[in-house]
Amino acid sequence: MTTLKIEQVSRTFPARHGNAPTKALEPTDLIIGNNDFVTILGPSGCGKSTLLRIVAGLDRPTSGRVTLDAREVTGPGADRGMVFQSYTLFPWLTVRENIAFGLRERGVPQGERHKIADAFIRQVGLAGFENHWPKQLSGGMQQRTAIARALANDPKILLLDEPFGALDNQTRALMQEMLLGIWERDQKTVLFVTHDIEEAIFLGSRVIVMSARPGRIKAEIAVDLPHPRSYKIKTTPEFVRLKERLVEEIRTEALKVAEHA
Amino acid sequence: MRPLDPVTSKRRAAYGLAFFVLFVALWSWATFGGHVSKTFLANPLTMVQEGVDLLTQHGFLFDIGMTIWRVVGGFALAAVIAVPLGVLMGAYKPVEAFLEPFVSFARYLPASAFIPLLILWAGIGELQKLLVIFIGSVFQVILMVAVTVGATRRDLVEAAYTLGAGDRGIIRRVLLPSSAPEIAEILRLVLGWAWTYVIVAELIGSSSGIGHMITDSQALLNTGQIIFGIIVIGLIGLISDFLFKAFNAWLFPWKLA
Repeated sequence: MTTLKIEQVSRTFPARHGNAPTKALEPTDLIIGNNDFVTILGPSGCGKSTLLRIVAGLDRPTSGRVTLDAREVTGPGADRGMVFQSYTLFPWLTVRENIAFGLRERGVPQGERHKIADAFIRQVGLAGFENHWPKQLSGGMQQRTAIARALANDPKILLLDEPFGALDNQTRALMQEMLLGIWERDQKTVLFVTHDIEEAIFLGSRVIVMSARPGRIKAEIAVDLPHPRSYKIKTTPEFVRLKERLVEEIRTEALKVAEHA
Repeated sequence: MRPLDPVTSKRRAAYGLAFFVLFVALWSWATFGGHVSKTFLANPLTMVQEGVDLLTQHGFLFDIGMTIWRVVGGFALAAVIAVPLGVLMGAYKPVEAFLEPFVSFARYLPASAFIPLLILWAGIGELQKLLVIFIGSVFQVILMVAVTVGATRRDLVEAAYTLGAGDRGIIRRVLLPSSAPEIAEILRLVLGWAWTYVIVAELIGSSSGIGHMITDSQALLNTGQIIFGIIVIGLIGLISDFLFKAFNAWLFPWKLA
């Protein structure tokens, strides 16, 4: 059982060069339960990535705390796997070695490492690319490897920071289906940050809408679409209704950002 | 010719060779044509004859060997100390704050100016030659390695942290492998500079080496020998550069893939 609790977490970036301090995140509460797939949706600059980085332990909250199974998060750790928007595969390691990075850090013997890595390579559809360097892969393949790398560590929660943001539309749709397929099959607690409304609905069981500057949770919308979901669900009336509602929510926030810019 | 348009490797080699031909042609024109006095500049043919003479009669191969050993010895000594220190400075900011100002200062101290002092301290033996090269290279390598390691992509470091890496893991499995090709490149570059220092060291208080031969030839006004010595240094530099590059390419296949 995994429970992630975000309690009154806020983040203010200190003043620089005489500018006023930047309030990136208002005190925020959020509870994510076992095998929940929560998507955080918001315009750019709404603090959603900041919140995710705090959960990952890569950033410290100015106030409040994050606990994972009642243990406070004080730094990054293998129990919270992360997939970044930028391509962060280690260029000097092959696909297989990249996926086995965390296992090796834990001292898992090589034979077992390979076995686990190869299973994940098949799961993300990269069989035959085990010994390729990241440079030889397309963007989509790199992100699939990055997801496999995070999953191979068997984290309690998977954190994804706009992982498909840099991919073209077709690839992105395929990646969403792949990720959702893994979640439907293996069950995993997932926190997924995105600014893409369709992506947020298609993947999430709950969509958390964040407001812009300073970031705070504005609305929470349950997505009651049945599983397993296929891409066809994106054209059903239920999906379209959810989308319309979220478009309104996001639009007012985007307008606020545009006015202040 | 258009900006940044690539050339084929065959043409690249041909163009590169063409300049050498042009260079020798100009030199021949100046010397054979009598535009420059023989006393100041030997012609290419005399240079080759003097070179053969040096190699067969005067044991110049031994001098070449001595010079190579001094460069490699002094440089290896510098690398063994500078690379770990540079990595430490790049990885740990307090260490960098502690050492960087001094190293930056020491980097500008000319190695050749230390020669009189080093002769006083270490005599005119091999140790003195090694020390000149050591002083000339060590600070450069420290600083450049520190900058390279410090510039490691932060997102890779963060990814490693989220995969459960500790501080040791970050250094051994992220900072080092990601900087390794750059470090090899730095060593290649500084090795080139080390060649300058060794010749200067051999010009003063030495009884062997290419630099020693050059001073001897100067006393005899034998410009053919001097030029031959200089060209030998250039050739060795070219070969070592080529070997270094090939070795790096073999060592870091992921860079090329």
